[in-house]
Amino acid sequence: MKALTATIAIAIGIGVGAGLCLAVAARAHEAHRHGGTGPPPRFEAPAPGSYVLPPIARIEEHVLLDSKGEAASLPGLGEGAVAFVSFVYLSCGEACPLATASLADLDGRIAGDEATAGRVELVTVSFDPERDTPEAMARLRAGLHPKGRWRFLTAESTDAVAPVLRDFGQDAVLLRGPDGDFTGELRHVLKVFLLDDQGRVRNVYSTGFLDPRLLLNDAKTLLMEPPPGS
Amino acid sequence: MHATRRLNALRSETLGRLAALVLGLLVAAAAAHADETCQSPYMPKLSGQEDYIYVWTLGVEGWGDGSDKVVSVGANPARPDYGKIVHSVSVGGRHEAHHGGLTDDRRHYWVGGLDTSQIYIFDIATDPARPKLVKTIDDFVEKSGGVVGPHGFYALPGRMLIPSLSNDVDKGGKTAIVEYSNEGEYVRTTWMPEEAPYGYDARVNAHLNRMLTSSFTGHANYMRPLAELMGDAEAMKNFGNEVVVWDFHARKPLQVLTVPGAPLEIRWALNPIHEYAFIEAALTGELWGVFRKPEDGTFEAVKVGDIGPREEQPLLAVDISLSADDTTLFVDTFMDGKVRVYDVSDPRNARQIYEKKIGSQVNMVSQSWDGKRVYFTSSLLANWDGTGHDDEQFLKAYDWNGKELIERFAIDFREKKIGRPHIMRFGQIGFHTGERPAAEEGAVAAR
Repeated sequence: MKALTATIAIAIGIGVGAGLCLAVAARAHEAHRHGGTGPPPRFEAPAPGSYVLPPIARIEEHVLLDSKGEAASLPGLGEGAVAFVSFVYLSCGEACPLATASLADLDGRIAGDEATAGRVELVTVSFDPERDTPEAMARLRAGLHPKGRWRFLTAESTDAVAPVLRDFGQDAVLLRGPDGDFTGELRHVLKVFLLDDQGRVRNVYSTGFLDPRLLLNDAKTLLMEPPPGS
Repeated sequence: MHATRRLNALRSETLGRLAALVLGLLVAAAAAHADETCQSPYMPKLSGQEDYIYVWTLGVEGWGDGSDKVVSVGANPARPDYGKIVHSVSVGGRHEAHHGGLTDDRRHYWVGGLDTSQIYIFDIATDPARPKLVKTIDDFVEKSGGVVGPHGFYALPGRMLIPSLSNDVDKGGKTAIVEYSNEGEYVRTTWMPEEAPYGYDARVNAHLNRMLTSSFTGHANYMRPLAELMGDAEAMKNFGNEVVVWDFHARKPLQVLTVPGAPLEIRWALNPIHEYAFIEAALTGELWGVFRKPEDGTFEAVKVGDIGPREEQPLLAVDISLSADDTTLFVDTFMDGKVRVYDVSDPRNARQIYEKKIGSQVNMVSQSWDGKRVYFTSSLLANWDGTGHDDEQFLKAYDWNGKELIERFAIDFREKKIGRPHIMRFGQIGFHTGERPAAEEGAVAAR
């Protein structure tokens, strides 16, 4: 905690011009909050079940590769389960670590809450399968020590993951330099998707919404819904 | 020995990830509040030089095809199309073209018609110079449960938030906020509270989980000729005087604040530690602030300044634009065609520092993220334009040096028989491909 705070302070000190210090420090404060280790947030998350999350879209079944290199379905959820799906690439130095850190925070909260333990799955999917091999995804998994069900998926190729990205509405563009060569970076908007057991997207989160308390309560809200047809 | 190496490697990897995480948090959060200063915080920012301005334009009978259209204008002085119309796409017919907005990934530009409630979705990613109409939503009223007049288009993650103006029962001001998926599928309708039924703008502060909505008037009023409407005392009572504070995540109203005289555009301060928003009241010519009270987290509405002389009201304060550093606010008044610039460093005491006449009438104002370029358009509503004064129709581009506006180019939409230009949104070559000519300033920045 102290180390993280000190590292942020150092980063601010060395990385930011004087004119932007205040704004960036404030945003770092906000980002720190989103990381789950910061001071109290500026609002209380609405109580589970006190609001509704209408379906936004439906996701088809896709087959990807898990961190053992075996076929894995997405969403592939069992009855009564929900999942948070996040798209990242491992060499991403910007938004992806925020998404993964938020899911790591959420992982602990899910495991520690009897209303969600065993019923909420996390899925991290690479949209850079050429570099993010199953072995690389396995290393990420090992470093995070998941407490609950957290799958790390990739694909055989960029072409193989493209239909998944289209289905979710997740943009991802290879950035090229002036010479036309791939820079190693991808442009994308950070998005995390909440899916119900019918494969329907029930919420989408980006930087401003990526608050583990909201995500946990959203999952609980879905788990409180009566089964279809009841 | 092998186990020790693995442990050291894991430690090294963990530290590396921590450093990447911290930098990632800083950069990602810095990009969270973004774009040309007044856009949704859920949209990646367009920094540097914009290449195109997409102008949603009302058709005028007898001018060209007479249809509403999206017009692309070159905005980069380093390019040969600077200050020129690059492309124009008609949607067919006149729908009272009004506002529009970009999706959270900036790939699509949604624009709406206040009269027919048609919504048009343009792809601006495939060819930023030439927007392409890819979808038309022509059942908005039916799908939304009777909402009329889709007004704002505000990006949410994976969705579009559409604060509206009216309803199909009495065409009055009772209305709702409607949500669609980015794919153009209906998601839900949230009606305004009974005690504050009018709608206009909706803006979210993610840091506070609060949304503010403002209030205008219904179809029966905004489609009437302005002079006739203003002479109808009974009709003039049918304007909103409220700003509603919402729990955004739950979509539930928490407070109704009184802001007399049709409070319209809402601009949250961009710095998260600035827990306030500015709103202009069109009919009273007053600038208001909505401030979060630190003692209990509720909000209060406070008048923070006047917009133009009292004796000249109503000047119809129609649009505002806040600088990225929260210090400077541009305010357009339609009736006198002026922009007034305020120092809002002290947000409870807005101080006018500059004034300039842009044209016989002026409506929308948009500034670049760096605040160096400011654009204006002229049209408010088809039946409100040019009443009691000339009906100039233009897009004008200025440089702002902190002290004065210096005109760079103007396009006469009347002389070219294009239409009545309204909302403006910015586009950039290479934003969606990563490919940008090396010699051009303003490489794409957001991820």
